[in-house]
Amino acid sequence: MEFEPKILGIACNWCTYTGADLAGTTRLKYPQNLRVVRVMCSSRINPSFIFRAFQLGADGVLVGGCHPGDCHYNTGNLYARRRLAVTKKILEFSGIEPSRFRVEWISASEGNKFAEVVTEFTSHVKSLGPQTKFKIKE
Amino acid sequence: MTNFKHIEENLKKEAKKLLEAGSVAVVLAYTEGMDEKHPQPFAAQSVADADKIIFNEYCNHNLARYIIRYAPGTKIALAVKAADSRAVVVLIQEEKIKREDLILLGIPADGMKNSKTDEIIDAKTTGGLANPVIYDILLGEEIHTGKPVSPYTVLEQYEKMDKDARFAFWKEQFDKCIRCYACRKACPMCYCDPCFIDQSKPRWAVKSPQSHGNLMYHLTRFQHLAGRCIDCGECTRACPVDIPLYLFHKFVAKECEEMFQQAAGMKIDDKPVMVDFRVEDSDKILE
Repeated sequence: MEFEPKILGIACNWCTYTGADLAGTTRLKYPQNLRVVRVMCSSRINPSFIFRAFQLGADGVLVGGCHPGDCHYNTGNLYARRRLAVTKKILEFSGIEPSRFRVEWISASEGNKFAEVVTEFTSHVKSLGPQTKFKIKE
Repeated sequence: MTNFKHIEENLKKEAKKLLEAGSVAVVLAYTEGMDEKHPQPFAAQSVADADKIIFNEYCNHNLARYIIRYAPGTKIALAVKAADSRAVVVLIQEEKIKREDLILLGIPADGMKNSKTDEIIDAKTTGGLANPVIYDILLGEEIHTGKPVSPYTVLEQYEKMDKDARFAFWKEQFDKCIRCYACRKACPMCYCDPCFIDQSKPRWAVKSPQSHGNLMYHLTRFQHLAGRCIDCGECTRACPVDIPLYLFHKFVAKECEEMFQQAAGMKIDDKPVMVDFRVEDSDKILE
């Protein structure tokens, strides 16, 4: 059977989540591997969420936020950008593929982009294979 | 090479002066431990105490760790080496202490030694500075000999590693961890109450030292110290099972310096990079 990755999506309420909604209402097709969690802002994301997701069996983590400058709270995503950049470096140095973690800026009107990103990211994670390094073994 | 005897005398003299004048409540320095190789941190509170102060090449403890134990407003004098002074700067930036409550007795030290291995502590294992970045009283001659060494060259061999080999390396290291939390206790920057690992809602990791919990603990700690770690190397020296934590902290510090053009704890007016942003930060940092 073909490997179907589990991907955690963490989407900001104001842009990416609304963008995902738009992708849905315009009936765009994208892979069903993504499980979306809605947060109020990308800066709400505690970097431990990402480590924890990988431990609990995620094969990839996709974070979506507003474009820099468009944050509903003005500066939230600018803090998040720095923070998540460091998280990515930590993943890299600990030996996991850093490309399993991606941050994308997707606005509320970019339903197309949302579908494209999810499609592309899913096929990328599929090509990397299952994530076993961080996953807690039963 | 630093004249440690000379610094010890000066340290005693200044401590006495400050305690006699009553300008500080406590002088944080070092005193004799079980042997010459194991001096211990010491809080001198009277002139008589000041006589017990010593200083030698094994006095590695980062005394900035103890500042936050005192009530705000307490006047504290403390002996600071290069890395320790940077820790003090970060604590001032984070408004844990006020500059005016501190009297910093700067110690330019070259040739400090690790009491476990007897190796000289240099740029490879810590920040590689010899002179404190801030001080009120300097207890010895500033050191200007020797060419500056990059603290990050030691990382090259690990960065070159294949990612699977690197994962295996860190897994082996973290699996050794017995979760004594000595790294957290020794770290001057680890003052959160409660620490994320002590929280039960949510519980981020199992509390017993299991492999996956250790990974979670250490990775999150590296994240929390991003842009704040001043590379004193105390976590590594405190570790009873010799996990080279400084390597990971160094890596994160290097990346932060490259991405945000600012090293931790160099200037009081700087803002720590993780609580700051630039609109013109590039999205490239996320690639």
